[in-house]
Formats: sequence, structure tokens, C-alpha cells
Amino acid sequence: MALSPHTTQSGFTLPSIHSFPPFFTKQVNLATQATVTEHWTKLILSYARHKRLFTIRVEDAQKAGNDWDEILRNERINRSLPPSHLSYILNDMVSKNLAMYDPPKQTGSVLLYWRSPEEWAETLYDWVSSSGQLNTIMTFLDITDPPVQTPLSGLPLTILRRAIGVLQKTNRAQMIAITEGEGVRFFGGR
Amino acid sequence: MHRLGGVGLAAFERQQQSQRSFAELSSEISQGQVDHLHAQLAQFRSALLHFASTHRDSIRKDPNFRHAFQQMCATIGVDPLAGPRKGGWWAEMLGLGDWQYELGVQIVDVCVSTRERNGGLIEMKELVRLVSKLRGVSGGAITEDDVMRSIKTLKPLGAGYEVIDVGAGKKMVRSVVKELDEDQAVVLAIAQEEGGRVSEEMLIARRGWTPQRASAALENMLVRDGLCWIDEQDEKNGVAYWIPSAMRWDE
Repeated sequence: MALSPHTTQSGFTLPSIHSFPPFFTKQVNLATQATVTEHWTKLILSYARHKRLFTIRVEDAQKAGNDWDEILRNERINRSLPPSHLSYILNDMVSKNLAMYDPPKQTGSVLLYWRSPEEWAETLYDWVSSSGQLNTIMTFLDITDPPVQTPLSGLPLTILRRAIGVLQKTNRAQMIAITEGEGVRFFGGR
Repeated sequence: MHRLGGVGLAAFERQQQSQRSFAELSSEISQGQVDHLHAQLAQFRSALLHFASTHRDSIRKDPNFRHAFQQMCATIGVDPLAGPRKGGWWAEMLGLGDWQYELGVQIVDVCVSTRERNGGLIEMKELVRLVSKLRGVSGGAITEDDVMRSIKTLKPLGAGYEVIDVGAGKKMVRSVVKELDEDQAVVLAIAQEEGGRVSEEMLIARRGWTPQRASAALENMLVRDGLCWIDEQDEKNGVAYWIPSAMRWDE
């Protein structure tokens, strides 16, 4: 039997291991499971990047009909990732700083770092300086929901705060309390 | 009375004289033989040189030709792989040693990079396919025979690379030091026939194994050796085992 990559309707290419039936079962051999976890982690992050998804929940594996159907199930071989296995993988991703539980103090839903907060910080700063908005005060909404699509559109506030935190440490941004809530100012001229 | 050579001092001298002539003649003859041998060797050498230079490319590119060439070398007791250190101008001439070692490195590359999913066991055809892919088109075709030869050259490294016969003409290459017992060989053979999938039920029905034996063999391969993966969503038996080394992986 030959295993080959498959391109989904949304144009995402699934690796050949996604057609390997036992890939969906949690393996008892620790070394094998490490491989499985690594492949799933890569798959989840690249799919999230492909579709600009930021959140995955354990319950997404429970029933079909969500953003993650294309990778959490494989109709061609009639397999799907059991929630318990997804939960194990997410836990591993959180421990490797590739995701964080959000909201905190629960383990059913995570924010995915297909870019790390540091990378988001650079993307954010580049966008602000290239669009000539340095030294002006911006609301969070200005950043995550601008009139034209930007690399930061739809960025969850939790990740945005972390990215601003990174910029604050290098004195490139400052949080400001404004009437509509929170704002931020970026500094140029380093 | 008449004796050949006569008697007395003169006869003694004559005998010595003839002995000397014989010695001279014998050294002359052996010198002639040595010269002849040298001439023959030189001729052989130049013939080989000619052969090597005209067929060098064919040897590297054409697997059939290479096979025939290696067989010829084996019959006349020449080792085309004897490196320069062993005084092998032959190997230098052909570059076959380098060729074989290069193939060895590529084999190790494929075995190591697929080890995490197949547990250090790979089917010969799959190995040949992946190595060919690695070499690209310019590398020329390679055969199972070449791979087996290269694996032999890897032996002194002690990495435990070995070709195992799992029956029905199927061969697998093992890249980890691990003993395969007979039951595992049977499981591998069935997996080969079934495209990678094996279940306890199959072993019981086809080989007449007891459930305990089937489950123990599979469990060992799963947990101890990491040679197979478990699938708990199998439609037919609920649980099935898959052997990645018996499958073809297109990347």
C-alpha cells in the first residue's frame, strides 16, 4: 500500500502520514508516540497558518462541522482523531511553548503560536512603522480590525498583548489608558 | 671398460663444467619466464586500463553491466573495491570504490531518516526507491544487488546493517542492532502481503497460531521494538497493527 500526500478542498496539502490509519491512535510505544505528536504538532500549526486559525478546542475533535475537519478527520480512510489524543497533543504543544491555554486554568482550548509572540512583535512593529503610524496612539481594535486586511487582522488580544509586551521590553511601545479602554503607542527612531 | 666422462681428474672437471652450464641454462630459462610473465602482466594491465577507461561510465550508470562486471571480477579473484591503500590502482581507475561508499552513505541516510517511523526496518524495494530519489537522475540507476553490496562494505563500521529475508522473495534491511525472532519474521511477511496491516485474527487464521502467541508477537513488536503502530479504529477487527516498513511512503 502506498501512502501519498493529499490536497484538501481549501488547498492545504496533507502529508502522507495523514493517510496512515494508526496515525490517529495514541501509540503505546513512547518513541513512536513522540513521532506522532511531532507530526500532529506540525500539521496543526501549518494548517492554522494556512487558514489563519488561532484557536483549537478539544471538542473540535468530538464532532464534525468546524474549521478543523480537514485535518482532524480523514474520510478517505474513515479515521478521526479522538478528543483524548488531541488533548494529549495540545498539552505537549503548550509545554513546548507552541501554544497556550486560553482562557487560562482550563485545558479544553488553546491559542496556537504558529508565530511566536516575538515574531508577532516584529510583524506588528514592521506594520506600524511601514504604515506611518509611529508615535500615534492606537487602540487594540485599530490593530486587530483595520479597514483593510493586514497581517495582523483577527489577531487575538491575548497574543497582541504579549507581542506589545515584547516591544515594551525593548522600549519600542508603551501601553496607554484611553477612554475606550486600552491603547498603545509605538516609538520610532532607534 | 668405458665410462661416460671417463675417469680421473679431467672427468671431475668436465662434470663441474656441465653442472655450471645447466645452472646457467636454468637461470636463463626462469629469467625468460619472469620476463614473459611481466610482459603478460603489463599487457593485462593495459587491457584492464583500456577496459576501465572505456567502460567506466557504463559501470557507473548501467546496473546490468555493473552486475556482469562484478561477477567477472569475482570469478577471476579481483576485488574491484580494494581501495588505494590496499594498492588498488584498479579501484582508482574505476572509481568504483568511491561509488560504492557513496551509495553506502546514501543508504545510511535513508535508513536513519526513516527510522523514527519504521523502527529501523525498511523494505528493500522502498530503500532502493528512496535512495534512487536521493541520488537524482544524474546518479544513474541502482539495483538491489548494488544495495546489498554496499551494505556489505558497511559491515566494518559495526552499525549492524543487515539484509534479512522475510520469505516470498521479499527482503528487508535492518539498520538497528536488534534480533528478529521467527514469529516477527512471519508477521513481517504477512504485512508485506497485506499492504502493512496485520491483526491477531489474521495470524490465528492463516498460521494457526494461538491467540496468546499472536498477541505476544504483536505486542513485542509494538511496545518493545517500535516496529509497528497500533490502530484502534480498525473497521474489521477493532484493533489492527500497521507496519510502516512494509508500506510505500510518497513524500
